[in-house]
Amino acid sequence: MQFLTHGSHRIGYELDGPNSAPAYVLVNGLTQYSELWTVHRDALTGKGFRVATFDLLGQGASDKPELFISQDDQVEALRLLIGELGDCPVFLCGISFGGLIALRYAIEHGEKLAGLVPMSTFAELSPQLMLLGNALRTGLILGGTSYLQDLLLPMNLSDAWLKPLLGNLDAVKRQGWLVNDVYALQNLMESFLDFKPLTPQLPSIKTPTMILNGEFDFLTPRSLHETLRVHISNSSLVIIPNAYHAFTLETAALTADLLARFAEDVLAQRWQGNKAVWIAPDEPGGEMIPFPDGYDHLRAIPVKRSAS
Amino acid sequence: MSQFLGPLDSAGRVPPPQQTRVAAFLISAHGALARQLAFALPGQMNAGWQTELNAQFHRETEIVSLLMRATAWIPDFTLPYMMLAWEAAWLPKPVAAVADQKQAMTIDIAALGHAVHGAIRPAALLPVDVQAKDPFVIALRRIEFESSRLIQAQILFLKSDDLKPMREPVSAAVENRHRQVGKLWAELLEGIGVGRDAETE
Repeated sequence: MQFLTHGSHRIGYELDGPNSAPAYVLVNGLTQYSELWTVHRDALTGKGFRVATFDLLGQGASDKPELFISQDDQVEALRLLIGELGDCPVFLCGISFGGLIALRYAIEHGEKLAGLVPMSTFAELSPQLMLLGNALRTGLILGGTSYLQDLLLPMNLSDAWLKPLLGNLDAVKRQGWLVNDVYALQNLMESFLDFKPLTPQLPSIKTPTMILNGEFDFLTPRSLHETLRVHISNSSLVIIPNAYHAFTLETAALTADLLARFAEDVLAQRWQGNKAVWIAPDEPGGEMIPFPDGYDHLRAIPVKRSAS
Repeated sequence: MSQFLGPLDSAGRVPPPQQTRVAAFLISAHGALARQLAFALPGQMNAGWQTELNAQFHRETEIVSLLMRATAWIPDFTLPYMMLAWEAAWLPKPVAAVADQKQAMTIDIAALGHAVHGAIRPAALLPVDVQAKDPFVIALRRIEFESSRLIQAQILFLKSDDLKPMREPVSAAVENRHRQVGKLWAELLEGIGVGRDAETE
């Protein structure tokens, strides 16, 4: 692992793949750590991409500021990392909290990006998300990292993924528990205390943008991704079938395939966002299906979209 | 050098020499916090957050009492020297940039509490195959669990509106205490064959 320096803090990162190739930068969610991108990294480097993974300030191998971690500092850490990649085309992808940081980077430094992939993320705190966030923070305070993981696992992953692991959940949780400190996670959560919605700034994002949202994402539902689709001009929304909030863990190969196809389309100038809505295939390499015309993609039942 | 305590004995227990050193360090640190809190506790509380001090004082003494009874102690002739160094490190260091001496002292106590509860994670030293019902193992897990709650009093105080004008010196004080506690803890662990950057399981 290599380290960047931001002020008095170190940010741990890794670069894989050929030096001059188009690069993907992958940004962790709140309780994640960079090793969770291993499948994506291997798939993308196998397709000729360079891949940068790192831990945000407060996570894993990066320093954990004791009292305050601002989202501006995270964006600056990302700027430093992208600066390490030279002049190659850069695709930025982040999930959940990492998706928010990626959005903020794209708003401030969009000219540096060839493409943007926000996943399971949001530009504003809906009442549900704010209350869930508060409850998760209280859970962390009262029950520690392990209890937060206990809440997030069933909320963010499917029965199909959880069932075979039910007898071994402690092992699933252990690495995340080992590398995450309560006060650092709490600082990351408390970076939302002065959060201002990004929605008014989204139209400034002109870079090609593929928004990924799990079909059954409970934590950040479709409506939050719709805000991104509506306000980012060159965007498409892609719904991942049968997936929940943490679909990058569950369908890593499919996610990596979608990332690669998006970047290849952008580089070949085939990409057209058109604010379209798509349904991703079930397996890597499958066909993308347009969301049925006339139906409302914000509903969970087949309801015709209203004329307005 | 391992990332975890051990090798465990045939019953899955942490070796007594390691138990002795770890417990001695934790007793020293939490004992110092208990003493400092005892002095800091006002006879008559005039702010809501001070109720946390009372709870924390009793929790710190509970941790000391628990470790004294749950540890498989053995004689360790290096402990007196190490204890002296630890106790010297915990001595109050009023934050220089804060004019009000009482407040400067309180910030330092809170900074030390933040570091002891935040930088030390004794349960993270336990290997997966440790005997889960061993008293020492339960004690370490309990201390780490309690720490995530006890640190809240420090966080509330150190991030409070009262200290906003002093954010820089407060952050520096907490960072210094974390560095100090982290260094002593790492040195202690290195002395018993445990290294943070060593190979994982």
